[in-house]
Amino acid sequence: MLSRVVLSAAATAAPSLKNAAFLGPGVLQATRTFHTGQPHLVPVPPLPEYGGKVRYGLIPEEFFQFLYPKTGPYVLGTGLILYALSKEIYVISAETFTALSVLGVMVYGIKKYGPFVADFADKLNEQKLAQLEEAKQASIQHIQNAIDTEKSQQALVQKRHYLFDVQRNNIAMALEVTYRERLYRVYKEVKNRLDYHISVQNMMRRKEQEHMINWVEKHVVQSISTQQEKETIAKCIADLKLLAKKAQAQPVM
Amino acid sequence: MNENLFASFIAPTILGLPAAVLIILLPPLLIPTSKYLINNRLITTQQWLIKLTSKQMMTMHNTKGRTWSLMLVSLIIFIATTNLLGLLPYSFTPTTQLSMNLAMAIPLWAGAVIMGFRSKIKNALAHFLPQGTPTPLIPMLVIIETISLLIQPMALAVRLTANITAGHLLMHLIGSATLAMSTINLPSTPIIFTILILLTILEIAVALIQAYVFTLLVSLYLHDNT
Repeated sequence: MLSRVVLSAAATAAPSLKNAAFLGPGVLQATRTFHTGQPHLVPVPPLPEYGGKVRYGLIPEEFFQFLYPKTGPYVLGTGLILYALSKEIYVISAETFTALSVLGVMVYGIKKYGPFVADFADKLNEQKLAQLEEAKQASIQHIQNAIDTEKSQQALVQKRHYLFDVQRNNIAMALEVTYRERLYRVYKEVKNRLDYHISVQNMMRRKEQEHMINWVEKHVVQSISTQQEKETIAKCIADLKLLAKKAQAQPVM
Repeated sequence: MNENLFASFIAPTILGLPAAVLIILLPPLLIPTSKYLINNRLITTQQWLIKLTSKQMMTMHNTKGRTWSLMLVSLIIFIATTNLLGLLPYSFTPTTQLSMNLAMAIPLWAGAVIMGFRSKIKNALAHFLPQGTPTPLIPMLVIIETISLLIQPMALAVRLTANITAGHLLMHLIGSATLAMSTINLPSTPIIFTILILLTILEIAVALIQAYVFTLLVSLYLHDNT
């Protein structure tokens, strides 16, 4: 409330601030602080697990304990009931029998199915707790798995240098192979060129040889005169005749 | 005898002030709420029962019909608890009063019907003529269907009143018969008493069933009109 007074005072003091009055309520709500004091009952006190003990489902045990030093509670009860009946304070009417039957059926039902319903309710609560427990366990398991994975990853990192060595060796081998390949190619190329030159030389030599032979033959043939040719042919014929005679004699044997 | 027979149906007054309001306000006190997840057995069983009935009842409705789920679930819980509490001796059952049942039935039925007429007027009017009627019968059938529609709230209220009142009356009568028998011929009293016990069991069933029937019919009218 003081802040409201401050705001109105500011509005009257500076008329330009009057437009700020529209923001007044919002500002007020923003400046009003909540939850500043210490919270009561922190942590919230737990509920008692079992209710108070009762006898006959109606009368709490404390009542009996209260009466025991003074008078017996059963005697008191019996006395009261008999007094009410005899003085007709409680009239036995049709309603009495209805009451008897209804209460009888109720007591019978409670005694017979009471534990069953109680167990059922307990089971329902246990199911709820089990669900939450399951969620908690699943979360813990998940985190544990994450921790184990992290540990194994860290262990792997220690052995990473093997991988790097292998990779380094691989690369070195690959480089070596490439180098040797290229060397071989260079060698082949060079050999090719040199072979070419050699074959060119060989060819030139052969050509020269052939040329010389041809020239020598031509001149020899040219130098053979006609007379010499006739003499040579006659001698050859005479030789052949001699040979023929020799040859004929042989096969008779 | 006559005065005593209907004495339990007089609206109770305390010094001239109606106590019926207090009696009607009693059942909610027996259904505690809780802000904890794990509760005591009473709250756990009640919550489980309410969950069961609400799921069972509201599955057949569409989204618009399900906006009525709070109304219908509180209706069935109110009628069931009031009927069951009325079985206790010397208690007053509000649902025996026709005025209260009419006050419950007419607004719910009228709400459902008016909702149907506002949103889908053709569907709502189509209920007046069942499918496949021969043509000459149509005028008469429309009149009959209209009457059947207009009588629904009356039927709802009177059904509930009559059932509960009849049950209570019967219990009272047989109780007084047992009382009379106990002076005339005491050994034959157990027979009548057995009948009374069987009747009590029937009454418990009737109490629950009537609640169910009431709510089911309202939900049916709702389903027709959403």
